[in-house]
Amino acid sequence: MSSAAAQRPNGLALFILPGALLFALFFFLPIGLMALMSILTGNPVVAPKVAFTTRHYARMIGDPFYLEVIWTTIRIGLVTTLVALAIGYPLAHWMARIKSRAGHALLLMAVLAPMLTGIVVRTFAWMTLLSDRGVINQTLISLGLISQPLKLMYTETGIVVGLVHIYVPFMVLTLTGVIGRIDERLEQAAENLGASPLRAFLEVTLPLSLPGILAGSLLVFALAISAYVTPILLGGFQIMTLPILIYQQISANFNVGFAAALGIVLLMISLLLVVAYNRALGLVSGQHDLQ
Amino acid sequence: MQTTASHSPLHATVRQAAPARTSGRVRHYGRYLYLAINIAILVFLLAPIAVVVVFALNPTPFIQFPPVGVSLRWFEKFFASRDFMQALWFSLEVAVLTTVSATLLGASAALALARGNLPGTRLIVATMLSPLMLPAILTGLALFQTYVLLDVGRPTWGLVAGHTLVTLPYVVRTTLAVLHNFDTRLEEAAQNLGASPLRTFFEVTLPLIKPGVLAGAIFAFIVSFDQFPVSLFLVSPGNETLPVTLFNYLKFDLDGTIGAASVVSIVLAFVVVIGLDRTVGLRSYVKL
Repeated sequence: MSSAAAQRPNGLALFILPGALLFALFFFLPIGLMALMSILTGNPVVAPKVAFTTRHYARMIGDPFYLEVIWTTIRIGLVTTLVALAIGYPLAHWMARIKSRAGHALLLMAVLAPMLTGIVVRTFAWMTLLSDRGVINQTLISLGLISQPLKLMYTETGIVVGLVHIYVPFMVLTLTGVIGRIDERLEQAAENLGASPLRAFLEVTLPLSLPGILAGSLLVFALAISAYVTPILLGGFQIMTLPILIYQQISANFNVGFAAALGIVLLMISLLLVVAYNRALGLVSGQHDLQ
Repeated sequence: MQTTASHSPLHATVRQAAPARTSGRVRHYGRYLYLAINIAILVFLLAPIAVVVVFALNPTPFIQFPPVGVSLRWFEKFFASRDFMQALWFSLEVAVLTTVSATLLGASAALALARGNLPGTRLIVATMLSPLMLPAILTGLALFQTYVLLDVGRPTWGLVAGHTLVTLPYVVRTTLAVLHNFDTRLEEAAQNLGASPLRTFFEVTLPLIKPGVLAGAIFAFIVSFDQFPVSLFLVSPGNETLPVTLFNYLKFDLDGTIGAASVVSIVLAFVVVIGLDRTVGLRSYVKL
């Protein structure tokens, strides 16, 4: 094949069309409409007279309650991401470095099993563990360690524990791929030159796995800030996050415009994150992509 | 540790030069600590699932620990409940439709991206993967608003379209990974030997990318079957998916029915994964 022909799209390029159509109709159009709804006074289909307005955004900025909701969402997302990284890294490292194939398969199953279990089910599991009469409190009371049940549920800590459990597999799977691609001989070389295993890890493996750390953290953060089930059930309707507020605006108040504005804020947080991620990745990897 | 040192002369000299720093005992303690931490993490990951099974079998109508016995009453209640059964079948229907559409659209898009010489491939790939990075609840909200504006109600195809959007990235990613890895000379060889592009595709390309497509399809099924945020906005009363029904039940009741439903959906997910792998895996032997 000549190089000129290689530049031009060939017949296979047409296969992109169905997917492109799906994205145009069910992704770009809806998000565009959401952006439009967030600056309109009402539904243009139902109401004859609609005008542009900034009142939905003004309401958000003017009321400390909404700013607090946004901050709570980001805070829960950040803490969840950090804990998921701390828990996910050792497991990912083990999975990437384990020699026996059976061991690797078992670890992979242990990580995938929670993923197969569904968000609602796992949140239920944490409710049975964390509630006042749940497994943890009952065990501690029967051991005589505490007399009153600890308040584990309906707290931000409870939400974070549940979210970490739900999203840590994403962190592990992302990290395993990246750690697995790091040549183990680099670590061995460092150890042969006198570095302790810990130092070899800190100075060789850890820096090389930064792209994976970033990718996994971005994924977990994006998932955590958009979580709805876990914050509402483990928070007992007492802790308000953006997704809860958005759904409340739709289901209880039917304030589509305000919900759209809140959605745009959530979208902006996510987009900012992706941009920051790409910047950070550029700084970390320096050279062209590792793939 | 000792054996690796013995057949590496460099290693041996270094060990002699710095004997006090990394003694075998410290190494062993480090190794034990590493294993202990990892086992604790595994317990954290798996214990909640075990607890769900325990509560599914425990006969008391509220959370109680330690369990007082074994009964199947929650399973009976689950299978006898019309709401749960309807939701289960609806979820399966949506998941199957989603898997088919996401696999067809995703695999063909990946093929176009890898072999079509399209301009701006990186941007298109990033766009097609973006539903993974964008909060799924936004996809649900945006689709909900669109359906309201267009006055189409809440049809099943609308829900399937939403699910396809959030599952397609998995298929695109797994298929692209396989397409990037395999040797294009195989396709060229087939064509040089006189195969038409169509025949090359069906007899060379398709069998080779099948593992990637299959992995993507399995992901699509699981993600759709467990999908919550998109469904939350798009289901209609009486036509709810299992996660939404479970969630609504959980808001008011905490009895073992949820545990039983959980066990059923876990088993189902495993059956589908293994079944899909078996059937499609078997067919490849029949064909080639």
